[in-house]
Amino acid sequence: MTTLRFPLSRIEGHARVEMEVQDGKVVSAQFQAIEMRGFHYFVQGTPAEQMPVIVPRICGVCSTAHHVASVKALEDLFEVKPPPLACEIRELLLLGQLIQNQATSLFIFTMPDRVGASSIFHMDETEANPEQQLSLAQRALKIRQIGTKLITLAGGQFIHPIKAVIGGVTSGIKREPAQEMLEEIKTVFPIVCTLFDEYWAMSLAMKERIGTWGDDQPAFYIASTRRSLPRFNSQDIRVMGPNGTERASFPPHLFRTYLDYTETEYSYAAQSSYQGGILRANSLARINLANSMGTPIADAYMDELSSTFGKPAHPILLFDLCRGIELVYAFERVIEMLDKDLDYEDTAVPYTPKDGEGYGLVEAPRGPLIHHYTVKDGLIENAEFIIPTTHNMLAIERALKVAGDRYVSPEGINLELEKAVGRVVRAFDPCIACATQ
Amino acid sequence: MATKPSLPRFAVLQLSGCAGCEVSLLNATEWVEKYKLVYMPLVVSTHSVPENTEILLVSGGVRNDEDAWNLRRAAKIVDRVVAVGTCAISGGVSNLGDRDDVRQMFLAQSNRHHLPHLLPKSHPIDAFVDVDLYLPGCPPTPELFMASLTGPEDYNASTIVCQECGRKKLKDMRPKHLLGFQQGEVLPDICLINQGYLCVGSSTRGGCRAICTRPGHPCVGCRGPSDAYIEKESQVWFDRVQKVFENMTDIPPEEINQALHSPQLSLFLFQFTDYMGGDRRPRSKEKVL
Repeated sequence: MTTLRFPLSRIEGHARVEMEVQDGKVVSAQFQAIEMRGFHYFVQGTPAEQMPVIVPRICGVCSTAHHVASVKALEDLFEVKPPPLACEIRELLLLGQLIQNQATSLFIFTMPDRVGASSIFHMDETEANPEQQLSLAQRALKIRQIGTKLITLAGGQFIHPIKAVIGGVTSGIKREPAQEMLEEIKTVFPIVCTLFDEYWAMSLAMKERIGTWGDDQPAFYIASTRRSLPRFNSQDIRVMGPNGTERASFPPHLFRTYLDYTETEYSYAAQSSYQGGILRANSLARINLANSMGTPIADAYMDELSSTFGKPAHPILLFDLCRGIELVYAFERVIEMLDKDLDYEDTAVPYTPKDGEGYGLVEAPRGPLIHHYTVKDGLIENAEFIIPTTHNMLAIERALKVAGDRYVSPEGINLELEKAVGRVVRAFDPCIACATQ
Repeated sequence: MATKPSLPRFAVLQLSGCAGCEVSLLNATEWVEKYKLVYMPLVVSTHSVPENTEILLVSGGVRNDEDAWNLRRAAKIVDRVVAVGTCAISGGVSNLGDRDDVRQMFLAQSNRHHLPHLLPKSHPIDAFVDVDLYLPGCPPTPELFMASLTGPEDYNASTIVCQECGRKKLKDMRPKHLLGFQQGEVLPDICLINQGYLCVGSSTRGGCRAICTRPGHPCVGCRGPSDAYIEKESQVWFDRVQKVFENMTDIPPEEINQALHSPQLSLFLFQFTDYMGGDRRPRSKEKVL
């Protein structure tokens, strides 16, 4: 038995892949999350009302999703309903996060794979035209920055936001800054479309070279966005079967009824499944579970995807293309939202703290995220973080096994395997800091 | 493009943290043309810090034995080590301050046999290697990142957060009790202490441009003490915060004291948790950006 160990890069957090090979066959593939900090433990005893400011530190990439999920869990617990304007501002916050995340995953994490470079910042080493490649990195960072600026505008702070509070948000968005942001977004949007077109073309070329879009079997899909105009400040979780029929729709407090959780000795992250079936969350799940994006350009891309690959679509490299569709959607949607009045009413309602149990759900870029708190004497007695990446753990391992079978034979191991491992993991865009907390 | 081969080379070693520091670095776009990024697992596929690297930025704390190994190996081969962010400087949120009870429970339940082993504490990196520059913040702003690369001596920062905040301090608005971190409507333009919030910006290091207090969130001290207090024990800093509240409010001193020392605050007053037990010496102010 030989153990192949693959370090991973261009993903969020610390993880590695181990494959056991015997007689030219892959016996097992493990995706190992190798870091842990322990948020679940050290928030115990914290005043419940401070959670929205502590939990963004779970992850600097997904901080906004944790911030909003935490506020929603406490609102559920204190039985308070935020005003509609506050919900819109939270949606903007989450769209900012989506832009930042999908741009990072597309252009910084996975674009180098398409041309065989080690990093977008080094793509000049492999391409003939350094001037153009430098501008590629600059354009990618510019698009990401829009996400950050939007988080700052709607959330107050640029990485660990602070403006969502129990009962609402601390303020609306005034006409002038909204207009400034709108102008900037409109100038960057064409760059998004061009860069995504380039990315799509690079993906086609890569498919020609490696001969596959990731030949894995169908799976269950899980998302909490709606069928059209996906809302990331979401309410219910939906599960779709491998053939495309919707199997379940449930509020966050019922997640244990529908999902199974297991811990393993080889990873600091848990794994979840749906009635014994392998689940997938993240962009491909949301696109499979949507009838339309509800904005014109994103819908055109989505139609192109569906007409080429059918619906539901299963090849794993489509996760990456779906991220691009969502990036386009987020820009279009933010342009619509910022054009409206975002300062028309009080943004928060009063609340009375009390003890009990609460659940908060948002659709994070990587899938449905649930915060579940039990509060006693005003302090957190127990906190559970149901992280989207755990929904993808088994799917990642199955896809790794498929990649292993493709490149390992009794004659030897094809060196393409290392690249394939990177492509597979990055397609799922796992977040290890979140998955292990 | 002729100058390109001579660009200074820098690496980012990511230990156990949240990647917020890395995200902040990606928000600073100016370095792309001025520096060559040779190692940063989040965005570059190389698996160790290469030789001939000049600057090593280290983010995250030393949480497990693999972190310690990677840190020692990398620090040996670079010219300059910069500790970036609260986790690298003090162990950060996951250092847990003085909460030993939680730490015991965590260790008993969490270790996995075949994975890097968790250490009892999340350690600051200067427990393992010499540090040339500290860049505090949770996370440091993109502007501060650029300053740490290009030369901290030219960075124009105020002494304390208050000076960058611009909220007015009022003489006749004296709250009787603390409001907690987030409660009620925050009045614009008026000092958060006047409004009853436990804001520690009055002695926290400036340079962040008051990104939290300006939109209305009290300063939680993530940049650490200002030069006036950074070389002293944490108690001196606590006393100073206490004094500010005595001068500006009618809040009973015990209430402030209790709030500053409550276990959960150790998650916020990030920099001071490792001074409290007296097991570490404060850093010299010349080395802190």
